[in-house]
Amino acid sequence: MRAFKALLKREYWEHRGSMFYSPLILAGFIALVMLIAGITDSTVTVEGHHAFSFGEGVPMAMDEFEKMDAETQERVVQVGLTAPVILFSLILLVVCLFYALGCLYDERRDRSILFWKSMPLSDTTTVLSKFVTLVLVIPALYGAVIIAFQLYTMLYATVAAWFGGNSGVTIWAASGLIGVFVNTLLSLIVASLWLAPVWGWLMLASCWAKRTAFLWAIFPLLLVFIAEGWIFNSSRFASLIGERIATGFAIQNSEIGEALPARMSDGEVFNWINAIGNTEFWSGLLLTAAFLGGAIYLRRYRDDS
Amino acid sequence: MSAIIQARDLKKSYGSFHALKGVNFSVERGRIVGLVGPNGAGKTTVLKAILGLTSFDGDLEVLGLNPETQRHQLMQKVCFIADVAIMPSWLRVNEALEFITEVHPHFNLARAEQFLEKTSIVRDAKIKSLSKGMVTQLHLALVMSIDAELLVLDEPTLGLDILYRKEFYNELLTEFFDEGRSILVTTHQIEEVENLLTDLLFIKQGEIILSSTIEQVNEKYVEVLVGKEKLPQAKALSPLAERSAFGRSICLFENKSREQLAELGELYSPSVADLFVAKMKEGQ
Repeated sequence: MRAFKALLKREYWEHRGSMFYSPLILAGFIALVMLIAGITDSTVTVEGHHAFSFGEGVPMAMDEFEKMDAETQERVVQVGLTAPVILFSLILLVVCLFYALGCLYDERRDRSILFWKSMPLSDTTTVLSKFVTLVLVIPALYGAVIIAFQLYTMLYATVAAWFGGNSGVTIWAASGLIGVFVNTLLSLIVASLWLAPVWGWLMLASCWAKRTAFLWAIFPLLLVFIAEGWIFNSSRFASLIGERIATGFAIQNSEIGEALPARMSDGEVFNWINAIGNTEFWSGLLLTAAFLGGAIYLRRYRDDS
Repeated sequence: MSAIIQARDLKKSYGSFHALKGVNFSVERGRIVGLVGPNGAGKTTVLKAILGLTSFDGDLEVLGLNPETQRHQLMQKVCFIADVAIMPSWLRVNEALEFITEVHPHFNLARAEQFLEKTSIVRDAKIKSLSKGMVTQLHLALVMSIDAELLVLDEPTLGLDILYRKEFYNELLTEFFDEGRSILVTTHQIEEVENLLTDLLFIKQGEIILSSTIEQVNEKYVEVLVGKEKLPQAKALSPLAERSAFGRSICLFENKSREQLAELGELYSPSVADLFVAKMKEGQ
């Protein structure tokens, strides 16, 4: 267990830029823009349709907000809190993609693999630590930064409310903040688990490739696309993968889907609870286990050092 | 004495190329063994098999374990520095210390810190900012702080300048080596290690052609400085090798009585390098 924690730390040390500083910088940037906009009394567009300038808009918006029924108030606040997740989740997906492609390839490319292999660690432990990094550590770090940003948004809205002559209590009451935090975190983690077959495949390619891991990941898929199109004149394999990734993105952002009025979201929301209850989630994990097994075998027995 | 490494009929092929053709040898506890051979002779394959980094046929036991199936248990007792074992460039010195402390049950952090204090390596420096010599110092400090029973070195001083090379082996002898441990080393710089070694293993085209202690070598092999007039007489005794120096010939003999050879000229113990060259050319 101690060794496993050390391996997770090792992954963090190598990738702290993309795992932690990237979302932090994004959050800091948006926070700063919001702050400047607030202080300089510029026009800010919140939630895409509530445009207001601070001097005049805030009192008006607060009056409007107070007149809404409780359910609408909740929706408005929660949309405000969960909308930024889209930005973070896009970066998160790209970061995970590159991490999965590099995690078993870079150590061979920079020839440090023999250093790691001189440690009393099994290949199974090592490969699993990289997988846990993908499905737990990276989403949790992004989740933590998003939660901090959500807290900042609440404080920001409260101060803005004070300028409008309102205490801001209704905003906090409508936020369901703890629920938003928990759902934000779990949505990101479950989405990453939903995408586990993608990560598993990329890790296998990462372990297999002698060079350009990206091509090794894409090429077999392309062959299947082409073969399927040629033999069956269909593209079900491609849409299967496309849907899997799209659904992963949808799980990450299920919170805003739930907060938006039904007419604005396209009906069905697929959240992390739905995902866990879905057989595709579990069959995906099974497939992932096969990919990881392949990666462990390759790392253990391949002799190309 | 107990064998730390026991290899019986060790074989390895890469396609149709037989890298190891049924190799037998053993390494005892408390020895410093030099595995010497030309490029492509199978040195690295032997080391990789010992370290569980490659598959093989035949029997191989290292510290009572099978390197192929019990690799990570083995790594608790075995350390290695390979010429290609480059430390990860993004890692910081203090991170490396923390990592090994947590994953290695036999790592002594205080000892590693002592070693590092003697160098100019800064703790929060990234490895990529260190010179090649410093990285080797760091790696050696880490390895010497692991209470290992076997240390395997594959061209450990490759690319280092002479100052670091001398220091490397000095440290190893004074700080690491004792009767409970063994060191197996391969290097092209035989002169550098020849005073260190207690045992020699020569490997040529996948076969061990010499396996003996230095004492045995000194008994068995003798160099004679032969004057011109006695050269035909020396040649009649079929020397293993002959080379000329300062107008006289130096003949290397295997298994000849010293009294007989003393009549030809002055006797010397051959250097490992000369013996190596002679053995490699033998039968060609």
